[in-house]
Amino acid sequence: MSEVEEVNTIKLATAGFDARFPNTNQTKHCWQNYVDYHKCVNARGEEFAPCKQFFRAFHSLCPNEWVSKWDEQRESGNNPSNFDV
Amino acid sequence: MNRSVQAHPFHLVEASPWPLAVSFSLLTTTLSGVMTFHGYSNGTFLLTLGLISTVATMTLWFKDVSREGTFQGHHTFAVQKGLTLGFVLFVVSEVFFFISIFWAFFHSSLAPTVELGAHWPPAGIQALNPWEVPLLNTVILLSSGATVTYAHHSLIQGNRAGVIYGLIATITLAVVFTGFQGFEYYNAPFTFSDGVYGSTFYMATGFHGLHVIIGTIFLTVGLFRVLSYHLTDHHHLGFETAILYWHFVDVVWLFLFISVYWWGS
Repeated sequence: MSEVEEVNTIKLATAGFDARFPNTNQTKHCWQNYVDYHKCVNARGEEFAPCKQFFRAFHSLCPNEWVSKWDEQRESGNNPSNFDV
Repeated sequence: MNRSVQAHPFHLVEASPWPLAVSFSLLTTTLSGVMTFHGYSNGTFLLTLGLISTVATMTLWFKDVSREGTFQGHHTFAVQKGLTLGFVLFVVSEVFFFISIFWAFFHSSLAPTVELGAHWPPAGIQALNPWEVPLLNTVILLSSGATVTYAHHSLIQGNRAGVIYGLIATITLAVVFTGFQGFEYYNAPFTFSDGVYGSTFYMATGFHGLHVIIGTIFLTVGLFRVLSYHLTDHHHLGFETAILYWHFVDVVWLFLFISVYWWGS
């Protein structure tokens, strides 16, 4: 007699390996996904599902303070990166 | 034994105040340079003092060297060999000095950081157009290399007028080059303090400009020594080292033009 135990499994996923960023330092990997997410949203809107992949990637890679700094810079229009499509 | 005849070809130098004087001048220049950069009071005054005494002591030392070589006959073939080797080693050290500056430039520009927008020139920097004044300056500097060679060959062949006119042409081109660089600096849309682009650009072109000015003075000394009949067709070491130095400055400019002005824009 075996009682099937219900196990709640939470799937934790981090950004996978990206051949463009083979180095230990993943700064550019984080940054590229941040830029690509905002480019994607600017082009297709926030509801466009494939944009979520970039969102998950930069949220997994970037330190939170970087993201909030870049967001502030974008809002005040002095982020050095190009988000136009 | 006849004491008026030297049994060896070497120059046994006499006691001179200049090594000590130059040491203290350079110490003053370095310390007051640091003081100036850190905003200490009277830093600029002391730096000016340091630079003036460095130039003054160097002038007096080189005046002694030129007297020893030209009028006292101390610069025998063996001595000339040593002086040439010494100067070549100095130029090698200059090469490495510029390598360190180019290293800083490529470190910052080959993989620009995300703070710069990950591109070069950095976001907000409007680089100079390399095909305007910088290209003209390339032509000017390369032409000055040709005129200095003409002056050199004239000297070897005993053509006094050729040396003088060749040197005047070279020095004129050098001054025009420096003038154009000053014009570019004055009109540049970015400054030394505009982040790593300004830092690397002005460090590289500024130190090159300083070397052009030093090379121009070196060639001018050569011109005045020709005018004073110091140099002969077979004994003109100071002039030859000035030419070597001038070609070095010329080559550094080519690297600057290709990497900083052209590729870097």
